[in-house]
Amino acid sequence: MPAISLSVNGKPVSGEYEARTLLCELLRGHLALTGTHVGCDTSQCGACVVLVDGDPVKSCAMLAAQADGREVTTIEGLAGGEKLHPMQEAFRDHHALQCGFCTPGMILTSVALARGNPALGEEDVAKGLEGNLCRCTGYRNIIRAVMAGAKAMREQGDV
Amino acid sequence: MEKYGIGQPVRRKEDARFITGAGTFVDDITRENLAHAFVLRSPYAHADIGRIDTSEAMAMPGVLAIITGADWIAEGFAPMPTKSAVQTKIDGSKLNQPPRHPLAIGRARYVGEPVAFIVAETRAQARDAGEAVEVDYEEREAVTDPAKAIAPGAPRIWDDIEGNFCLDFELGDRQATDKAFEDAGHVVTLELRNQRVTAVPIEPRGAIAEYDSATGRYKLHNATQNVHANRAAFAGVLNISPDELHHIAPDVGGGFGAKNSGYPEPPLLLHAAKKLGRPVKWINDRNESFQSDTHGRAQDSKVELALDEDGKFLALRTATIGDIGAYCWTIGPFTPTAGSARTQGGPYYFPAMYYTSRAVFTNTMPLDPYRGAGRPEASFQIERVVELAARKLGIDPVELRAKNLMPADSLPRKTPMGLDVDSGDFPKVFGRTLEMSDRAGYAQRVEASRERGLRRGFAIAPYLECTGGSPKEFAGVKFAKDGTLTLSVGSQSTGMGHETSMPQILAATLGLDIAKISYVQADTQATPIGGGHGGSRNLEVGGSAVVTAANEIIGKAKQIAAHLLNSSAEDMSFADGAFADVKTDQSVSIEDVIAASLEQARLPGDMEPGCLDTGAIFEREVISCPNGCHAAEVEVDPETGAVQVVGYWVVDDFGTIINPLLAEGQVMGGIAQGLGQALLEEIIYDPESGQLVTGSLMDYALPRADDLPAMEMEFFEDAPTAKNPLGVKGAGEAGCCGAPPAIVNAVLDALAGDGVTHIEMPLTPQKIWRAIAEAKT
Ligand code: FES
Ligand code: FES
Repeated sequence: MPAISLSVNGKPVSGEYEARTLLCELLRGHLALTGTHVGCDTSQCGACVVLVDGDPVKSCAMLAAQADGREVTTIEGLAGGEKLHPMQEAFRDHHALQCGFCTPGMILTSVALARGNPALGEEDVAKGLEGNLCRCTGYRNIIRAVMAGAKAMREQGDV
Repeated sequence: MEKYGIGQPVRRKEDARFITGAGTFVDDITRENLAHAFVLRSPYAHADIGRIDTSEAMAMPGVLAIITGADWIAEGFAPMPTKSAVQTKIDGSKLNQPPRHPLAIGRARYVGEPVAFIVAETRAQARDAGEAVEVDYEEREAVTDPAKAIAPGAPRIWDDIEGNFCLDFELGDRQATDKAFEDAGHVVTLELRNQRVTAVPIEPRGAIAEYDSATGRYKLHNATQNVHANRAAFAGVLNISPDELHHIAPDVGGGFGAKNSGYPEPPLLLHAAKKLGRPVKWINDRNESFQSDTHGRAQDSKVELALDEDGKFLALRTATIGDIGAYCWTIGPFTPTAGSARTQGGPYYFPAMYYTSRAVFTNTMPLDPYRGAGRPEASFQIERVVELAARKLGIDPVELRAKNLMPADSLPRKTPMGLDVDSGDFPKVFGRTLEMSDRAGYAQRVEASRERGLRRGFAIAPYLECTGGSPKEFAGVKFAKDGTLTLSVGSQSTGMGHETSMPQILAATLGLDIAKISYVQADTQATPIGGGHGGSRNLEVGGSAVVTAANEIIGKAKQIAAHLLNSSAEDMSFADGAFADVKTDQSVSIEDVIAASLEQARLPGDMEPGCLDTGAIFEREVISCPNGCHAAEVEVDPETGAVQVVGYWVVDDFGTIINPLLAEGQVMGGIAQGLGQALLEEIIYDPESGQLVTGSLMDYALPRADDLPAMEMEFFEDAPTAKNPLGVKGAGEAGCCGAPPAIVNAVLDALAGDGVTHIEMPLTPQKIWRAIAEAKT
């Protein structure tokens, strides 16, 4: 079993895990970070998205071993302590979630979208969320939320 | 203190956990000593099952138990119940209902039917062992098309059911309708299909079962929409009393009907948990979900519209074949029969209507309600035939519709389908939708599209639907010493935000701070009854139960207030969270009355601490009728057949709006699913082999973020219903009724110049491109 060490939400994690362990399994199972969701088996839904070195990654499509030496942020690690991340706030303010199952992946993808494009427009968001499925909201409130969240991030110098 | 009234866009309480990853979905729950189950499913649509050899699989690492159909039957368990409200054929005889067990018994009848249940130490081990189970299948000829299934010579799915026929059904006045057709100036006929789709909640189904040998009680955490009804169903299967099963739904990641049914896996899990003395978890994967979540729609209809010379509607006649799959499932026979009959004709004034249908078995995954369950089908039927009639008669489709809407002064009215339409103003809602859609600027937009090589089309689709689901609901309120209270309701949110809207109603009625109210749902120990989620019923019956409970609390609280003020209950008025003596003007706050209600010393002699704790049941007598109007503008690229919805307007009459934020969310989500039905989604079985062709998210197209247009919406609140104390009409399914006809008719409007008159849903680029090409020749 390969030994892996990585950082998850700023904390060091190391251990020996079966070679076939997926990153989402490591997070959900071994580390009990169940905010990362699994909604499919063909890497289509995006419910499992986490940030790896700041990039959005479908954690169902990455082996835990591939995250060796890297920095992983899950939804549990996005907020700075008690204070919510502006993208989290924006999702609540704009009613951008219903069942909440797609939400962690949506928020993390959106944070990366905002950081990757200081002039993020609605169409960029709609395109940028292509790999994230939501069956509840009809997406429009998600797009509104991402626009607002990105603006707040810019204002806080997080972009 | 924050006070939140009815009608306020209160932000959701539940979001705090979902946006931080702290929600608890069933797969997030774990247990000490947990075992994992895998369902071995039939790879064949129709096959006799001979010997099942489990010896090799049993010997594999970690395998704990394997249950086959023969093992199951040997336990003496009962079949799963069917609860369709329609139970008889037209001739009065009972519907044909084959027995349904959690595992196939001797024969598999659809791809994905459970054949064996494997429990192991890990999910991977259970799956590996599943692959090692040897099943002798003898393949039979399959039939997946309902029209073929009832044709002579079709393969029989059930030996004792002739013609794969479940039941037939009729509603309305056949003679009067036929007569109207004979006398009609025009008759327009359209054959169309509401294609088979599936709900695809992003959280797959799953459950954890536990058995406590000391108490003999079972516990089931299940991603279900309906804990009480399914508790009764599972208990019945296992021959235990419902009290022996504690059924809980944790956070559920969407349902839309597909998590409502009595599914096979939970009874298997419960049995395995008892047998092994260990908790057992099962989570469906996505590909299995396409095979084994119930499907929806799947109706083929012939719709006929009779009009007089001036375009006034005289009669509507619809004949439907409803595919219900291989079994009756939970309420499968209801949807294509009464479920689709009630709202025939939509919001139009029809002197006569007749609806008839046949429900038919095929070698496919069974059908059960999917968001709307019959009403979207009916809405699509009427709106398509009206659009076609306008085209054929050379009348503007907007005018033809306006002319035939039920006038406001014709309400209350019972439609020829027996639907009690008590309130609304359809012409007003229709007119407002038109206004919002900027008809004046349309010609210019058409021109702008043309310049880019695109065809632009517009359609308007008024709809009338109705609520459904269990008519009864319970709400309970318990007060604690620290000033907080708990509200428990038997209806259930799978994303709709009841944790906010229901406390909002209670807080508004009692004048309390919403932050003090915690909410409990979906737990058979929290409420004595519960109708779960379905039929847009929550506010109508659940919300009304909360109001009923709140009013009882106010009644009791008046006695306490009177005692505290040395007055009499009759002299107590209640407003803004305070009880006042109408004679002396002395008052006491509800918080103080609640505090007093928990101390014997401050109570009248005949009352006891905790006396304000209240449980109330509301029972609806008549279903209400949500209605409204959708309008869509689309652009079609004639070169590629690609459609983009570019404008969308909606006015909905849901009666009183409790929380506009949540109501809008329901509408947008419903429109997205309706758009999926109109343009993208279809469950396809191979007609020869019966294999599921669209069995993954790669083959089954869900709407994505860039498929949805910006939507402008308003609520018409001037006609609340008197059928419940809140005046609400139900909001959850309306989007699915309005969107498919608005979008499909808009596309066909765009293609009118090409001579295209009809394309079956989903209107994919290939189909549109082909229709244009064929119309040319
Ligand atoms: S779980 Fe669906 S993309 Fe990863
Ligand atoms: S909120 Fe339910 S899937 Fe997005």
